[in-house]
Amino acid sequence: MNTTKNMAAGQLDPFLMSVLKSRFESIVREMTLVVTKASRSAVIKNAKDLSCAILTYDHRLVTTEDALPIHVTSMDVATRPLTELFDDIKQGDMFVNSSPFTGGTHHADLILSMPVFFDGKPLFWAVALSHHADTGAPEPSTYLPYAKNIYEEGMHWPCVRIAENYKEKQDILRMGMLKNRVPDLWLGDVRAQMGAVRTCEKRLIELCEKYGVDTLQAFVEEWFDYAARRAKAEIGKLPAGEYEYRISHDPVPGVADAGIPINLKIIVDPEAGEITADVRDNIDCVPGGLNLSENTTNGACRIGVFNNLDASLPHCHGSANQIKVLMREGSAIGKPIYPAGTSVATTNVNDRLTTAGNAVFSQMGKPYGQAEGGPHLPVGMAVISGKDPFKEEQVYINQIFVGYAGGGANNGHDGWLTYCGPANGGLITLDSIEVDESMYPFIIESREVRPDSQGYGEFEGAPGVQGAYYPIDHDMTIMYAADATTFPPRGVLGGKDAAPTASQKMLANGQVVDLPAFNQELCKDGEKMMFLSCGGGGYGDPLDRDPARVATSVNAGWLTAEKARDVYKVALNAPDGSGLRSVDEVATRSLRNGPKN
Amino acid sequence: MKYQICIDIGGTFTDCLAACEDGSIRIFKSATTPGEFETGFIDVLKVAAEGFGESPEAFISNIGQIVHGSTVSTNALVERKVARTGVILNRGHKDVLTLREGPRKGAFEWNLDYPAPYVPATLTQTVEGRIDARGNIHVALDEDDARRAVALLLERGVEAIAVGLLWSIANPAHELRLRDIIAEMAPDLPVSLSHIVNPLPREYKRIISTVINASISPVITSYVERLVDRLEASGFKGDLLLANCVGGMMPTADMIRRPIYSVMSGPTLAPMAAMALTEEADVIVGDMGGTTFDVSALRDRQLIITADSMIHNDALGIPKVDVRSIGAGGGSIAYVDAGGMLHVGPHSAGARPGPACFDKGGDQPTVTDANLVLGYIEPAYFLGGRFPLRRDLAERAIAPLADTLGISVAEAAYAIYTTSNHNMVGAIEDITIREGLNPRDSYFVCGGGGTALHIAEMADILGLSRYIIPRFMAGLSAFGGLISDIRWETSRALHTDAKRFRHDDVNALIAMLIGEARDFLNGANVDPANQTFELSFLGRYEYQSWDIEVPFDLPAGGIKPAHIDDLRERFHKIHERIYSIRNNDDLIEFTRWNVRAIGKRPHQDIWRNFKLQAQDGPAQPKGMRKAYVQDKLKGGYIDLPVFELMSLGAGAIVKGPSLIEAETYTAFLPARHDVEVDAYGNLLVDKNRNRGVRK
Repeated sequence: MNTTKNMAAGQLDPFLMSVLKSRFESIVREMTLVVTKASRSAVIKNAKDLSCAILTYDHRLVTTEDALPIHVTSMDVATRPLTELFDDIKQGDMFVNSSPFTGGTHHADLILSMPVFFDGKPLFWAVALSHHADTGAPEPSTYLPYAKNIYEEGMHWPCVRIAENYKEKQDILRMGMLKNRVPDLWLGDVRAQMGAVRTCEKRLIELCEKYGVDTLQAFVEEWFDYAARRAKAEIGKLPAGEYEYRISHDPVPGVADAGIPINLKIIVDPEAGEITADVRDNIDCVPGGLNLSENTTNGACRIGVFNNLDASLPHCHGSANQIKVLMREGSAIGKPIYPAGTSVATTNVNDRLTTAGNAVFSQMGKPYGQAEGGPHLPVGMAVISGKDPFKEEQVYINQIFVGYAGGGANNGHDGWLTYCGPANGGLITLDSIEVDESMYPFIIESREVRPDSQGYGEFEGAPGVQGAYYPIDHDMTIMYAADATTFPPRGVLGGKDAAPTASQKMLANGQVVDLPAFNQELCKDGEKMMFLSCGGGGYGDPLDRDPARVATSVNAGWLTAEKARDVYKVALNAPDGSGLRSVDEVATRSLRNGPKN
Repeated sequence: MKYQICIDIGGTFTDCLAACEDGSIRIFKSATTPGEFETGFIDVLKVAAEGFGESPEAFISNIGQIVHGSTVSTNALVERKVARTGVILNRGHKDVLTLREGPRKGAFEWNLDYPAPYVPATLTQTVEGRIDARGNIHVALDEDDARRAVALLLERGVEAIAVGLLWSIANPAHELRLRDIIAEMAPDLPVSLSHIVNPLPREYKRIISTVINASISPVITSYVERLVDRLEASGFKGDLLLANCVGGMMPTADMIRRPIYSVMSGPTLAPMAAMALTEEADVIVGDMGGTTFDVSALRDRQLIITADSMIHNDALGIPKVDVRSIGAGGGSIAYVDAGGMLHVGPHSAGARPGPACFDKGGDQPTVTDANLVLGYIEPAYFLGGRFPLRRDLAERAIAPLADTLGISVAEAAYAIYTTSNHNMVGAIEDITIREGLNPRDSYFVCGGGGTALHIAEMADILGLSRYIIPRFMAGLSAFGGLISDIRWETSRALHTDAKRFRHDDVNALIAMLIGEARDFLNGANVDPANQTFELSFLGRYEYQSWDIEVPFDLPAGGIKPAHIDDLRERFHKIHERIYSIRNNDDLIEFTRWNVRAIGKRPHQDIWRNFKLQAQDGPAQPKGMRKAYVQDKLKGGYIDLPVFELMSLGAGAIVKGPSLIEAETYTAFLPARHDVEVDAYGNLLVDKNRNRGVRK
């Protein structure tokens, strides 16, 4: 509490701090709601693959609420080129940016920004990002690991003005609609974003009128100072030093045959309250879609650090600025050089880099860090497409979120089951089977927890989810990029690795075949796609796990009794009348006191 | 029959509102008796009898109707004191209740455990058999497998079984067959089927509500039976109606059949009270109590219904009146975090120890302490003087916080006050923005003991100019019960779209729903002349996945092709209203059809008969008090006139800044918040009244 006195030194009345903070948060909440409710794509609406934010006109992130971490922790990278590329930005303009070569995340995340003016002066950027269902790429997916460069990707919008004086520019929108498999869906989703930034503009102007521009600007500075103080205080509690973590993305034939190694070094300076994430020592860009963008490299490094700090920290410029990122131009884990492929820059390698950030803190020993969690894009999260036999062969294409990977454990808690991937922190909504089946002509035959897929440990990773789905009366195209098939999520500090991801197909004759990890598959009528998502890694030695927790995992059906005995050295009693198994204390004691293997 | 009664059982107090034949209303209170709530129910009737100077027997035999809201089922759920319940699901989908739709968590929040499912894995069974989205039997039900599953659950001692199968809403054959199989094997076991409890095409929400329904069925049945026994033994000869969560009352037999409708029913009566108190179209209702602030709303005089209400980590799943609750009440604790930011709530000092000024051992600064320091509350007149407060303790609690912030105790008290107001405004915006209400054009109805101290500033933040402080603000829900309709909703899923509209199927379905609704009202002895039916559908644009509810009128002779344009237009309009976007060319899908049964009760409007005498001359304050008034960015204490509500007649005008005190509340009215007292003793504020711009 001794850091708090300096607050009084600020220009702003203390009550205005909490008042304006809640006003800004409320605006972003309203924007998010407009996008969620008015969008059409399942990926935006159901899975909430969207984010809204407010930045100062000089590109400092003020506030985010309900946003996906990967979208916002480096939103400044996406707006900064606007003021570099345009010298005639006016009230009523709107810009779209989806190109990693102008600060975007990847080609499917359309970042729509609107400058907010008051009394003729530009003050803020209102930003709404949505992951669009299609970008008009050569293949019907927004994730193309084999797309070597920009020429093999969908449409890039390198900071393009799509509205002027509050009017949509029809010629520009026509370009977007022409090169899109689902043009109406696309336009509807863009308009939802426009609705959100206009709402934001309106609300910010009201705030300016009510409190005055000076007060608002004083608030923003105080807010950044506050966030910086909080971040410094949190970082100040960490042990000083340099810590390194190596992790590898799976091999992708023809792109990176041995996988993509990732090397993250962090330098923790508790005295300065600063952490530097250094990813300069990494390989050059690969000939595929797996290269990161400057935006996602920045974001991934910051997310890893934020995940290891107090969750109540405000995630804005003030705190993010305490995390410096050092990257190299031309590196796969850094800033790509044109025309490098970046189609999957928000998931695969990005997942691995974020995971490295989560896990590198475990090098400090207990209680720090997290075990590795599973990545995005197994078959349970594929982009599906085809012609709907129940709708006169109407084309459908969208990403499903039927089943995904489990999270890694940390000190005190098992992993989060509906984790999905490190870039979104367990925020993605899991699809309703009935909603999906009412929209697309297919059957989701099964979707359940995949037992024994978790990494064992004093705290267990979450298991993955497994299941099967198949088209009705037509052939369906399935595109996915299932990392963690070769290198499953690893445990830390004695915790064990999780089971790897697997992608399979059951043929019409009942035979099950393994499919490649990175693939476009035609699932014919009569065949079934099968997904086995990986679990998360364990934290700490399994032999230190509380036997009662072991029994709980067995009773939940997540762990078999055999593994309880073999891995955890916990013996369980036979099920009681209600089917529950309790710990056999005596047998467990002798198992655990016996020779370790 | 002299009395109409509403009994509302809350966490601490059981409230009784009694309406007499002349329309006058009196409030009585008694302690809630957890474990056997019926005891507190009878106790409060005895207190009321004493208040009317009658013997309990004479009083109770003179009651025509009792309407009753309780937290019995909510408490049972919160404490998980429910029946041991098994669930039967489809093979391949045993984890519907574990995976949910992905439980909520914060983006950077990792210090938490994944929540356990409502039904443990050991009581979850799956069976072979599958229906598809079009209602076709894709895989036949394996009856031997079903018998095995039921036998295992019975062996494990379940007291109720829920059946939740995919697409049972499109074809209930497998669920119905399972019900028969369970009935053969365990004839007396309560069984809940998902397509009956909650016909929603979204499996997690439908199935969670089905298991909740099954698990509280024995709890509600037993409570209602005990209550009816006690009332009959006390000489009660009238009707007993129970509050449901769709904003009305239903007979006890109906509640026993659908116990989930009793969950969180109490607060849903607040918007019903608002409906009676104002003729306005768009209304926000805010109810500030000791620990929470509950918000609900009316849009075009329609209740707002949601399927997103939560109990712990699970959805309730059924469509219910949308009431959102945040941790902002008089007991909410203020603190300054490590970076120097002031926060208020969500932690609360509760009733024990309560705010510091209660002198019950609390030393944390709360909103009530701030209100006392600001001079809004008179320490000697809290709850009509029955509960004196200590201003010195409030100041002592706030002093360290003021010191940390480097401001005076009064400024710190105002910072707490306004932060708490902004928290509540956030909750109000959450519902208004979501539902397409513009707070500026909306009317606000105050509920709960604390709202009248906070409404003026909240109204200014929201840009809202008109509100009402009802005479029975402190018991708004109980008042809502007293005046509410008999009400229930029935619905079925039937998927169709504007291009391929299934007229015959939809018309047959609506006819069936109206039949069910009529049977319900007849069963509740509602005269056919007092029965009304409201129709609505849930719809969406193609590939949207969130439905919106659209009211419509059934044309004579049913829906014909010529009527589709009207249905489309109604959908476009509401979509535009809520999301400010309409897509005229897009295909509209219809997913569910609802019929709302509304029955008027005799005497429910009796309160309108009791009117105040007209005000004689200008209103006279009973005294002056120093209170803190903030104007823009500056604040300070000034002397405010204090008026006594009981001394004000109909038509009295009280100009702000001032304070108005009543036995159960105090109203703080800054400048421009002038009050006019209406004939029922409600305080009406219209900031535009003197500017001639009244709408």
